[in-house]
Amino acid sequence: MTLGTGHTDAVFGALADPTRRRLLSAISDHPATATELAGGVPISRQAVVKHLSALAEAGLLERERAGREVRYRVTPAPLSDAVTWIAQVGAQWDTRLASLAHTLEARQSQPT
Amino acid sequence: MTDQIERELVLPAPPEQVWEVITGPGWLADDLRLDLVPGGDADFGDRTGWVEESEAPERLVFWWGEDGEPATRVELTLQPQGDDRTRLRVVESRPLEVLDVTGIPLPGSGGSSYGPAMVAVA
Repeated sequence: MTLGTGHTDAVFGALADPTRRRLLSAISDHPATATELAGGVPISRQAVVKHLSALAEAGLLERERAGREVRYRVTPAPLSDAVTWIAQVGAQWDTRLASLAHTLEARQSQPT
Repeated sequence: MTDQIERELVLPAPPEQVWEVITGPGWLADDLRLDLVPGGDADFGDRTGWVEESEAPERLVFWWGEDGEPATRVELTLQPQGDDRTRLRVVESRPLEVLDVTGIPLPGSGGSSYGPAMVAVA
């Protein structure tokens, strides 16, 4: 797969965890450092850093230096737009192909 | 970069039958109308577009889009698998965003904004 499924899998993998979704949602409100984010969730700063790395590796977050810390922000629109498109159009094809397979299976069992 | 979706599956019918179903009404659209020649009009009900390439029962390439939205390109490839099965490969892609500015109107009645002139670069 060139750009499609592998990347989408990485994104969905990163978003499968509820803590990560919560962190991503907090960061989408305003960019934040791991220390700032750790104040709002019941896990250690180290655990927060680990989740943030997974989100960054999936391309959902960008890192920027903030003094001695790293501040995370949500990746600007183009990538999110691509991810959304790939997820939506991919899901439409999954549905279409399942219905095509179903139609053909039905035909095979009842030849016209 | 071009965004692209790829799917592949094996269907329990020979390519001729699969072709009949995918180009007939009911699958891509309830009231599908496809003029199966290069440049032919395509009407999917909620989307319009045009046919880039049609080679029954092996290959169908078309563009589709909702009115006012940039069109995307769909490539369906059918390969016989044994006597009575078909491997169907689907690739839907939307072209480089930089090409949005070309805004070439489709030859058909729809309001989508990509046309045959794009094929060379898509």
